[in-house]
Amino acid sequence: MERMKLGKEKLGDFFAKLGNKQIYAPQKVGETLRFAPVAPEDELDLEFSNTTVPPKSVLFPQTETLYRYDLGSTDLNLPEDEVERVLFGVRPCDARAMSIVDHLFSWDFDDPYYLSKREKTTIIGLACLEPEVNCFCTSVGGGPASTEGLDLLFTDLGEAFLLQPLTEKGEKLCREAEDVLEQATGEEGASAEKLQQAAAEKIVRGVETNGIAEKLPKIWDSPLWQDVSEACLGCGTCTFLCPTCYCFDIQDEAEGLEGRRCRVWDSCMFSEYTLHASGHNPRPTVRERTRNRVNHKYSYFVEKFGIIACVGCGRCINLCPVNIDILNILSEVIKEEAI
Amino acid sequence: MKDYANPYKPEIATIEDTWQETSGDRAIRTFKVVLDDDAARENWAHRPGQCAMIGILGVGESMISISSSPTEEGYLRFSVMRAGKVTQALHELEAGDKMTVRGPYGNSFPVDEWKGKNILTIGGGIGQAPLRPIIEYVKANRGDYEGLELIYGARTSEDLCFKDEFKAMEGREDVKYHLSIDIEEEGWEYYVGFVPSLLMDVNPSPENTIAITCGPPVMINFVLQNLKELNFTDEQVYTTLENRMKCGIGKCGRCNVAHLYVCKDGPVFSYATLKSIPEAFA
Amino acid sequence: MVDLEKLRTVAKETISRDDIKYLIGWRQGTYGFRVSPCFVREPGEAEQLIYSPLCTNNLASYLIAMDKPPLPRGEKPDTRKVAVMVKGCDSRAVVQQMAEKGLEREELYIIGCPCEGVLDLKKVEAKFPHLLDPVTVQWNKDKIIFQLPEGAEEVPREEVLAQECLSCRDPNPVLADIMLGEEVQVWGNGEYQDVQEMEAKSVEERWSFWEDRFSSCIRCYSCRNVCPMCYCEDCVLDRLNPTWVYRSSNISENTAYHLARAFHLAGRCVECGECERVCPVDIPIMKLNKKLAKEVEEKYEFRPGLDPEAKPLQSSYRPDDKEDFIL
Repeated sequence: MERMKLGKEKLGDFFAKLGNKQIYAPQKVGETLRFAPVAPEDELDLEFSNTTVPPKSVLFPQTETLYRYDLGSTDLNLPEDEVERVLFGVRPCDARAMSIVDHLFSWDFDDPYYLSKREKTTIIGLACLEPEVNCFCTSVGGGPASTEGLDLLFTDLGEAFLLQPLTEKGEKLCREAEDVLEQATGEEGASAEKLQQAAAEKIVRGVETNGIAEKLPKIWDSPLWQDVSEACLGCGTCTFLCPTCYCFDIQDEAEGLEGRRCRVWDSCMFSEYTLHASGHNPRPTVRERTRNRVNHKYSYFVEKFGIIACVGCGRCINLCPVNIDILNILSEVIKEEAI
Repeated sequence: MKDYANPYKPEIATIEDTWQETSGDRAIRTFKVVLDDDAARENWAHRPGQCAMIGILGVGESMISISSSPTEEGYLRFSVMRAGKVTQALHELEAGDKMTVRGPYGNSFPVDEWKGKNILTIGGGIGQAPLRPIIEYVKANRGDYEGLELIYGARTSEDLCFKDEFKAMEGREDVKYHLSIDIEEEGWEYYVGFVPSLLMDVNPSPENTIAITCGPPVMINFVLQNLKELNFTDEQVYTTLENRMKCGIGKCGRCNVAHLYVCKDGPVFSYATLKSIPEAFA
Repeated sequence: MVDLEKLRTVAKETISRDDIKYLIGWRQGTYGFRVSPCFVREPGEAEQLIYSPLCTNNLASYLIAMDKPPLPRGEKPDTRKVAVMVKGCDSRAVVQQMAEKGLEREELYIIGCPCEGVLDLKKVEAKFPHLLDPVTVQWNKDKIIFQLPEGAEEVPREEVLAQECLSCRDPNPVLADIMLGEEVQVWGNGEYQDVQEMEAKSVEERWSFWEDRFSSCIRCYSCRNVCPMCYCEDCVLDRLNPTWVYRSSNISENTAYHLARAFHLAGRCVECGECERVCPVDIPIMKLNKKLAKEVEEKYEFRPGLDPEAKPLQSSYRPDDKEDFIL
């Protein structure tokens, strides 16, 4: 399908054309920028680098009911979720993260909660034209205008957006909204590409990730793990705000004879994460947990699914209270002598 | 949601029979359960070594090895040590009560590969429960295997599981067993000492033998050392690992040992697979 | 004003002592205005230490280590002292940990750093965005000087300092083996301005405010894990048997979590503000803690972390304690 153009003043009209799909866009909730439901007429402030809470919170919510039960009956009440959603304003790194997490949720067993939401969601990306200091998407196979995981990509040309439909879902959306869209000219397409390329050149930090997956097991016992993790407080912020982190806990909430089993976000950086009921903990300190986290993202996931489970969004660097910096850790890994 | 099978949804099962295997603060209770739903019961097929998530609605689930062999038809057996919230609640259940069962999960002992070989099991405490299915399987298919030798020990005679089953094996020509307890006890006629030293005492030959061990991590480490001393190769030695688990289907992330998930790539692992993974022996 | 040369000299001397295991201090971070706690074990490493308005972290959190690795067989624990650099609020945390018998005085070598307030990174990064190269920052009475790439810039302190620091009454460490620098002026007045503003609102307004804030909590537990006073090995909010508070995020559980934590900190919170700083969803946690601190001060005339001999408030009583709010 051809590239289209949408005048900025018509963004609300565009949303109105999407029928009864629930639209999520970056909104200030309190003081925090995160994805929240919006109505077509709502004002959107698109001058942001990225949301604090990634859009994974829509497809993989912090708390999700797996089923409800009633001890008087043998049936389990599974939740119905037939809502069709549109995520608007997703940065390419966060969209890539979703396609990475897809591997896990469809590995052998299908996770119906995540996958059915994913199927019913159309993801509209907003190309990054001003990457932040700690963005390093280009080091891990991504880019400020990467299309992986996206159905439709918007690029801000100034007065209008350029729209690139990327999948059938994206094309369908464009057809639904064709009254408010115009055909984009070749010049406009080229102008968008120039902006996207310029954005990639604005990325200032990075690290060579080729060979990291093979290097990591060879430095398992290195003292560098103690050095890089010593300041860690085990707070969990890095994992909770990471778009490719998906670990969860399952808890039963009983109220008399009824209740529900639900899942909630969990973190491998918490000490109870691997705590056995016997009291034994195979990862007793932050050193082992940090080493496991880095190995998981840059080695184990590569071994299993062929891709690094990090999209370079930089949230862990921005939000870590003690400035534990993954780029710093990786450069230490590269420098370290393999055994 | 409707288009996908839901792997988190458990089956309801009724406890046909349950008894206390051992008492004390690390008490072990055995359950014989039958799935309620006819179709689920008929379609259930597990292999020796696999596990299932059992639990109670409103409390939670725990991954417990299926302690019965598939050759024991009509029921599933689980032996559960009382340790945390879920297992404590399970210990309160009586015959006729319900529990949830989800599974079977994980890989299994390569019983076909092992045909024609001697099978040696080395268990400690509750570690005998994951070994029981392979023992029962070999007994039921006795002609397919050569020797069957069991080494089993616990802290005291009170802590030994499946005592009645060992008694029933007394005098059998086709099964040898050796029991031990850690400290001298009045009336105890067998070996006194730790399981790894009983192993050296038995001095089994590695010729055409597969050794499977399961028990407390400390015991496993010493048994592995001793098996090496007895000239067992890495490919001849198997163990079952455990880890904290929540989903049982490789999604929640916590049971990983390096790149291996105990719930999916395990719990059965050969020492050849584990020896290059430092985390396996943490 | 702390002289960097003096700081590094003292650090080198400290770490060279036989009876000191390591020194916990701050070093410049990996970009812009960041700073990272560091553990100095060799005199050569002391060169990286800094002290400025960038040094937000409360290093007292590292004194009561939460996970102690199991020792290899035959190895004895290293019982040498730990040297730690503390600002005013940090020293209160150390003193309170000692009062609660979590730490012994002999285990520590305290290096006191008088503090005129630390930066609120959100305010600063909004004012000076996109900075990669590390920036030096200095106190200058009622202004803060930023050494930016394009030149030095002076900003009034209220515009860039953390909220807690603007009302701070304890900028000078209350306990130290050695002080780096002269005592600084006290800016706070103990009026609990923020708390009074909330108290002036109606119950409905307050509940609506907190319902909104608690709803965004993602239960990351960062507030608890960063707090120097939250050091229970078996936190009641993590307990499974029985489960007091579920991990699910909803108004009921989130409120229970935050209020339980606030009450467990009543009479113990040293008002360092770290909890609010680290919250990724901007919950104004200090409002709760300050309210309870005000109550404690009014009703019991007590402020924690000022006297190492003082008994912990919630496990002691005086015969003349006020009772008019109980009976």
